[in-house]
Amino acid sequence: MSKQHRDTIFLEEAEILSHQHLDGDQHLLRLQAPECAAHAQPGSFVQIQCSAELPLRRPISIMRYSTNEGWVDFLYKALGRGTHLLATRQVGEKLSILGPIGTPFELHAERSRPLLIGGGVGMPPMIAIAESIKGQDNYKPLVILGSEVPFPFSAEPSKILLPNLPSSVIATMPLLDGWQIPCRLASQQGYAGCYQGYVTDLARIWLESLDEAERQKVEIFSCGPHPMLEAVAALAAEFNLPCQVSLEEFMACGVGGCAGCITPVEKEGEVSMKRVCVDGPVFDAVEVFPRSGH
Amino acid sequence: MTKNASLATEFCGMKFNTPLVLLSGCVGFGEEYTRVHGFSNRDAGAICLKGTTLDARPGNPAHRVCETPNGMINAIGLQNPGVDYVVNEILPTLDFEETRFIANVSGSTIEEYIEVTRRFDDSPIDAIEINISCPNVKEGGVAFGNDPAMSARVVEACRKVTNKPLITKLSPNQTDIAGNAKGCIEAGTDAFAAINTLMGMAIDIDSRVPIIGNNQGGLSGPAIKPVALLKVHQVYQVCRPHGIPIIGQGGICSAEDALEFIIAGASAVGIGTALFYDPLVCDKINRGIAAYLEQHQLTSIDQLVGTLQLNQR
Ligand SMILES: Cc1cc2nc3c(=O)[nH]c(=O)nc-3n(C[C@H](O)[C@H](O)[C@H](O)COP(=O)(O)OP(=O)(O)OC[C@H]3O[C@@H](n4cnc5c(N)ncnc54)[C@H](O)[C@@H]3O)c2cc1C
Ligand SMILES: Cc1cc2nc3c(=O)[nH]c(=O)nc-3n(C[C@H](O)[C@H](O)[C@H](O)COP(=O)(O)O)c2cc1C
Ligand code: FES
Repeated sequence: MSKQHRDTIFLEEAEILSHQHLDGDQHLLRLQAPECAAHAQPGSFVQIQCSAELPLRRPISIMRYSTNEGWVDFLYKALGRGTHLLATRQVGEKLSILGPIGTPFELHAERSRPLLIGGGVGMPPMIAIAESIKGQDNYKPLVILGSEVPFPFSAEPSKILLPNLPSSVIATMPLLDGWQIPCRLASQQGYAGCYQGYVTDLARIWLESLDEAERQKVEIFSCGPHPMLEAVAALAAEFNLPCQVSLEEFMACGVGGCAGCITPVEKEGEVSMKRVCVDGPVFDAVEVFPRSGH
Repeated sequence: MTKNASLATEFCGMKFNTPLVLLSGCVGFGEEYTRVHGFSNRDAGAICLKGTTLDARPGNPAHRVCETPNGMINAIGLQNPGVDYVVNEILPTLDFEETRFIANVSGSTIEEYIEVTRRFDDSPIDAIEINISCPNVKEGGVAFGNDPAMSARVVEACRKVTNKPLITKLSPNQTDIAGNAKGCIEAGTDAFAAINTLMGMAIDIDSRVPIIGNNQGGLSGPAIKPVALLKVHQVYQVCRPHGIPIIGQGGICSAEDALEFIIAGASAVGIGTALFYDPLVCDKINRGIAAYLEQHQLTSIDQLVGTLQLNQR
């Protein structure tokens, strides 16, 4: 019998290498976690023990990982008890993490124009995808990031010009510019250089600027708040493009044992309950938003 | 990893590697936790599979789990693929060399309990646990378990269709758990599992809506440990004269917790919610129990079961 799933998730006592506290209650965390770094893929996440006081771990996406140096980066927003306790943890302390977990995003060579749309603390998996294809000439990606609190990096004008987009929309995440990956930002908050509106509106402008042949090379990848994902799924449906989304749900075990983290998935007219932790968190948008217009 | 011979024990004639039992609903159908590097099914004496019904059940809507002080509430709603799928597709993939596997049977009617038990009887499963204490389904479950006459009828009916070890899982949501246990012994149960979850609720004060999709659910984890311990003590009083063993459970997180249950009368101890916090907790508990046995010059946990000495008032 096949036991391929065995020994794929690691429990590590990970030292906090850095912990930056940013505007909008956002925090950047770097952990020394060599096993997790060695096995991470774009879209995978970890279950973090925020504090010994809490009986359950918290799921947080992996943003960056260095297999060579053994570190893993996370970006999280302090929302409730767990993430607020996590924010108090200091450099040098150890955090127990369980990961990497989950079915990752899957890129397809024939879809050479990945469109990555990340909203708020849904940005991390998009950064992970971008880094995984940096320097690969066969991919021509575009990253669109949206936030209604200050971006968790200092946005700068991009050196990569995108003639298809309004020239005033020029702000980017410098890390992505450094990777030669085009990126633009969207917000309703009127931040300088950002598109004033929704990520999906900016994505639409870009999609409409492509000719049909180029558009057929697009595949959309997205992570963010549920309403945003619904809008992304609807956009993908409208342009008849494949789309993968990363979902969130309350979790207990994080390894497929409790069936606590389900989402209804519709395939060929049949609805079944899938576990977000191991069957996801990445799902085909058509299957989780079946009424988005497909 | 534990390979301490003194931890091996017998439960209803089954050979357990250790006194630990992984609890139903926390470890899927036995393979899920093996994803975790360092986890081994061999660290457990037995694994109880997810509650199984005659037909497939989709389970409850989200949210199904939420954290509560020192514990959690769940209302999974017995999501399972139905007994035929479990017997034909899942059991053949399990490695029975590693540990014992126990089916967990649920139903809405006595007939359903009988039929599911019958199908597991005709399978390689090592034992059958009848769950008359699930708080998360509309019919059957805890509705049977909280009614002593009904409990006994379910046990009696299942007993007729299997010779495999039959374990009755008791609900803490009832007035007289010991009285209920007595009836189940007379009806032919071989063992007990005590306790299942306590019914509970959590409310989102912003929306004024219960957090759990099913509105209410079962409370588990350290929060319920003192309740569970007392129930095990009470059930043990009626079990002792008959030599009926108990799988003590409810909030066990450490060797010390496990030892308390054993001293109160449990012959084996269940680990559920604790795995969510520490997936490698079994190895630690095994080592802790082994160290205790050595320290107290005991050769087997059997010498410790039910050794509680009550204060004389
Ligand atoms: C696969 C996955 C990846 C995630 N990645 C990130 C990330 O990279 N950055 C980030 O900031 N957040 C991320 N989240 C959301 C994050 O897990 C929640 O914000 C966090 O669990 C809230 O915990 P809390 O104790 O602070 O909040 P509380 O509201 O106090 O939490 C109470 C309980 O509800 C659960 N819960 C509440 N909101 C969520 C939610 N949105 N998703 C899952 N469980 C929730 C908690 O885990 C906890 O068990 C991710 C969620 C999932 C499922
Ligand atoms: C997520 C979850 C699902 C459960 N599902 C079942 C089930 O299907 N059948 C059953 O008999 N008990 C079920 N239980 C109860 C446990 O098996 C156990 O009796 C209870 O949680 C107490 O132990 P603990 O505090 O160590 O978790 C479930 C518990 C949890 C937390
Ligand atoms: S959190 Fe337990 S199955 Fe996903």
